[in-house]
Amino acid sequence: MSQKSEVTIPHADPKDPYAFPATMPSSADKEPRSFDPDDFPMPTRKQDDWRFTPIDRMEEFFTVFQPSGLTKVSVSMIDGSEPPADQVSFSRIPMDQAPCGTVLKPSDRAAAVEWASGKQATVVNLRGTLDQPVLVRVDGGGPELDAFHLVIKAEAGTKADLVVEHQGQARLAEGVEIDIGDNSQMSTTFIQEWDKGSKHVGNHRIHLGAEASLRHSVVSLGGDVVRLRMDQDFGGEQGDLNMLGIYFVDPGQHMEHRTMVVHNHPNCKSRVVYKGALDGIGAHTTWVGNALIQPTAPGTDSYELNRNLVLTPGAIADSEPNLEIENGDIIGAGHASSVGRFDDEELFYLQSRGIPEQEARKLVVRGFFGELVEEIDVPSVSGHLMGVIDRRLAAGEDQEMQHVLEEN
Amino acid sequence: MSTLEIKDLHVSVETKEGRKQILKGATLTVHSGETHAIMGPNGSGKSTLAYTLAGHPKYEVDSGQALLDGHDLLKMTPDERAKAGLFLAMQYPVEVPGVSMTNFLRTAKTEVDGKAPAIRQWTKDLNDAMKRLRMDSKFARRSVNEGFSGGEKKRAEVLQLELLKPKFAILDETDSGLDVDALRIVSEGVNRAKENTGMGVLMVTHYTRILKYIKPDIVHVFADGRFVKTGGPELADTLEETGYDQYLPEGANSESALA
Repeated sequence: MSQKSEVTIPHADPKDPYAFPATMPSSADKEPRSFDPDDFPMPTRKQDDWRFTPIDRMEEFFTVFQPSGLTKVSVSMIDGSEPPADQVSFSRIPMDQAPCGTVLKPSDRAAAVEWASGKQATVVNLRGTLDQPVLVRVDGGGPELDAFHLVIKAEAGTKADLVVEHQGQARLAEGVEIDIGDNSQMSTTFIQEWDKGSKHVGNHRIHLGAEASLRHSVVSLGGDVVRLRMDQDFGGEQGDLNMLGIYFVDPGQHMEHRTMVVHNHPNCKSRVVYKGALDGIGAHTTWVGNALIQPTAPGTDSYELNRNLVLTPGAIADSEPNLEIENGDIIGAGHASSVGRFDDEELFYLQSRGIPEQEARKLVVRGFFGELVEEIDVPSVSGHLMGVIDRRLAAGEDQEMQHVLEEN
Repeated sequence: MSTLEIKDLHVSVETKEGRKQILKGATLTVHSGETHAIMGPNGSGKSTLAYTLAGHPKYEVDSGQALLDGHDLLKMTPDERAKAGLFLAMQYPVEVPGVSMTNFLRTAKTEVDGKAPAIRQWTKDLNDAMKRLRMDSKFARRSVNEGFSGGEKKRAEVLQLELLKPKFAILDETDSGLDVDALRIVSEGVNRAKENTGMGVLMVTHYTRILKYIKPDIVHVFADGRFVKTGGPELADTLEETGYDQYLPEGANSESALA
């Protein structure tokens, strides 16, 4: 039975991508974009953006506060040397001064509160080709609530790698703006190695210029509550965004990563790959990956993936990919998500070769993350990351023992 | 000189139909330098015996003993058994994604020996052992058993056997799934390991094919959860002709495999 009839495909007005067919900006993300905290309702578990979050453990991040100003920042090259002054500049400026506030707008109440509470921002400006990564070290200011705003600006044609390390004890609201100029090739890596008892709520806002590429990596290995939300858009055609995430969670910890990739220009590519390991009762992770392909973005190639490895029973991994495709003329849009248990047969095999259970788990977790880290083809960054992961795995052994002791 | 003693071992597993006894009083003594072939029909419990000795958590020991030089293996975790000198070459080696063979082998060697091997000697030993087993050097960079063919997995098992130098090796159907050339290469590896270390070998198999390459001193028939007959190498030839039927209890089905 073939019936020939003219099918009318509705066309969106390219000048007003939000008008039709979707409402602003996505059905998976109905939050407004604003610098004013009062434009956002107080978070509750009933709101989509907050339904996985232990809100009662981070209430202090929802109301404008007086920052302690105790967070310390230092900038050097990764080998500890001084950055070349003609290529890397580092300044502290008031928040109301550009380039602060130039990359997108806060997308939730916590991000708007950070903006409204902060007084000063740290700006790192990069240009030219750098032969080794820049290291931004952020030392937590202790249990008092602080706000920290970081702007990373890569001028057009920059080829550089930047690593941001968070360490120590902190209760930190963080805003990061990343502005990648046209034709740049950049990597930015954010490592969370917070001490026990730390809280970290952050929003990364990313703008990727035409024909620029960015590898954005997030590695969360410590902190009681870590919630990071990444918002992004493109500034022109042929942008290439590669987001990578690693998290490792112990009992009582909550780590949440949300990525919002927006394809707003033609022929851009995005990849989001997050992997997490969970160890023990009450370990909780959340990954929500949103990808929106707007009517203005034909030729889009996008994929997102999340894998969770549950090492011991009693951990909870939430994993939710959301894809919203408003353009039929694309190369691809895919997603995959899984939560898997550490395989007893793998464990037995390794043990039968003389490797104790603890060591066997470490080997497997190291391998699980290693596959991802290998994809970073900057040896100084991938080597640094494996070092951080090894340090975390070594520390895990002591913590494991602590739990045994605490339970007895 | 080491001794592995298995005394009146009774072992069960949990199945969907409830607890099922598989080993029903297995008794065996193996000394260093001896090669024992354990032959028997499917489902007789040969693999259960192998995995129980190695400490797989699925198998529950109801009674009996397993001693290595007088030390109670059954009280040890699988890694402790390996350190005590036991090695199980598995019929289905497990894939461990993301863990490279090199890293795995060095970690295992360090644990079994109680100290890290000297790096230069270790690299040489590894490369030599791989060459003898006709394994490509890029093998070492791949994840443990991941994407290996059946033959490659068995070679990797024998590679570990050669490097870890146990006192006793249990080969669980190491001959299955191998073509003639691979069977010869793998068998040579086992013989070499035995020559170098004087280890005792327990070889679990259905077929006499592998016995052409690895000569047993003693052949056992294993049926319905226990050793039912023991003889010299000539017993294997008899089995080839007569099969296992005479050793099965009345009405038993040799394909009622659980183990």
